[in-house]
Amino acid sequence: MKPSTLIVFYLWKDTWKRWCEQPGSPAARLFVTGLLVLVATVILTAFQLVERSLRERLESFGLNTLVVRRAVTPDSSAFFRHGTAPDDLAILAPSGRKLRLRQLFVRGQTEWEENNLLVLTYPPEALPMLAEILSPQTTAICVSDSLPENAQLRVRISHRSVVSSVARPPQWLRSLAQGDFLLVPQGWLDEEERLGWLETTVFQRGPTAAPMEQIIAAVKALSSAEQRPAPQMQSALPLLRELDELHRRHQQWRGVLAGILGAAVSLVYGAIAVLEFRQNLFVGALLRSFGASAWLLYFRQWLENAALANLAAIGAIFLIVLLRQTIFGTLGFPGELLAASDANLQATDALITILVWINVGAFLSSLPVAAGLRQPVGEILN
Amino acid sequence: MDCLDISFRYKPDRPWVLERFRHTFRPGVTLVRGASGCGKSTLLRLVAGFLEPQQGRIITPLGTAPTDIGFQRRALGFVFQQLNLLPLASVQRNLALAGSLAGLPAEQIADNSGHWLRVLGLEPYAKRLPQSLSGGQQQRAAIARALVRDPVVLLLDEPTSGLDDLNARVIVRALEQFVTGNRICVVSSHDTRLEILANETLDFNRFLPLERHLEALV
Repeated sequence: MKPSTLIVFYLWKDTWKRWCEQPGSPAARLFVTGLLVLVATVILTAFQLVERSLRERLESFGLNTLVVRRAVTPDSSAFFRHGTAPDDLAILAPSGRKLRLRQLFVRGQTEWEENNLLVLTYPPEALPMLAEILSPQTTAICVSDSLPENAQLRVRISHRSVVSSVARPPQWLRSLAQGDFLLVPQGWLDEEERLGWLETTVFQRGPTAAPMEQIIAAVKALSSAEQRPAPQMQSALPLLRELDELHRRHQQWRGVLAGILGAAVSLVYGAIAVLEFRQNLFVGALLRSFGASAWLLYFRQWLENAALANLAAIGAIFLIVLLRQTIFGTLGFPGELLAASDANLQATDALITILVWINVGAFLSSLPVAAGLRQPVGEILN
Repeated sequence: MDCLDISFRYKPDRPWVLERFRHTFRPGVTLVRGASGCGKSTLLRLVAGFLEPQQGRIITPLGTAPTDIGFQRRALGFVFQQLNLLPLASVQRNLALAGSLAGLPAEQIADNSGHWLRVLGLEPYAKRLPQSLSGGQQQRAAIARALVRDPVVLLLDEPTSGLDDLNARVIVRALEQFVTGNRICVVSSHDTRLEILANETLDFNRFLPLERHLEALV
């Protein structure tokens, strides 16, 4: 056998014997690393899930969508029940696609009482934009993600009944409401419009238009110039800011946790490595006196620390993957979000960062041994 | 093996253990005699390259410094006063590891091991772990481990310390067999039973700052 094989075989035997004689030594290292990795992974994965949830909301709303709402009451100048009311946001028309709707102050009810629908009316000029969801049977549309598509659905509004066709919401209409809603032509619900409505404008910014911040500022400036109350505006900007802030905190936490992990592993493993190195000082020196390389002895220590640290880390990560529904469900994350995140929970940047820093810690922890191995054999073996 | 004006001390604030020591070790056995603490073991560790002199230099028969890993692996055999055997390897495995690190082929390791185990009376204990051997058996095994490498330079630090006459005679006989041709053997000992081996004797008491107060105690 080659000398290096013989030495490696001997060192492995020596390590195994040490573990068997003092099981607390590897167990302490496994436990500390496993616990730290468990906590760090849960925190970083939670950040990732929150980010994912925000991204989903952002995707659903649309990055280039702006919804402007303004209350129109019977006593306001914009209260035109018949004919076309003047469009306050006409300046937006060249910058993208725009749909004016009226959100009524009544709600529609399906045959199943629990399904309560928001009711909006659309003007005749909106028909081309709604063509993709219109049905040949009726011009009333129940926009829903959950009800069966193309089903004919009877909706009761006040004392009248409307038959609508169920359609899936196109992306640009998702920003209008979180749940299902009903679109009916203007004039169908004359009585209900008497109470007033929320003038709701869905605007989709075109690719060459000014940035959304400038568009929002222009709408505000216009309202101010015309001495109208500022409209309620809903865009993706707050979500984007929230996402940026979350991302920044995620990076901060990742750095802090990685530092803590690396420091803890290097301190705990380093302390144990120094103690065990002293216990085996004479055997190490004897091997060196035979001509065994000090590098090989150092490599043994590094390999032992790295193997234990990685074993503990992978074990902890595996445990999280196994119990993710329970752990993150308990922390309040919805099941659908967890199911969607299953695939990438195991191989994320966060886990790679953790593993890198665990290994940095394992490397640092073996440096005192490298320093110890510089002591001349003649000073050890007396 | 030339020691050229070597000086050594363990710490800068300590006195010199060896100062401007000059000597050529010739083939055969050199017995280094002297009282405890006179620097015999230090000299051996310097010659082995396990310590480095602060001044002067040592040239091995290979023409290198003794710290050269090639010299330590292939040309050097060293027997320490204590702890010479790897505790988790059998006597045979200890010998095989030492021979293998010296770069010897497997057949030669097997031949050398068999020979020296026989000469040193260790054949029945070849498969045993060091901890199950007596002090004398362990010391003989340590010598076998050094001899199996077939070294050009063999250094023994108090090889018969604490051993009975029978063990000492077996060791002397083994060393007589080994030291032939150009082999250099340096034995540090104050054991008079080893004087029979010596081609040359080096008295180290002359380097020692004698503890005169000890003479008053006896």
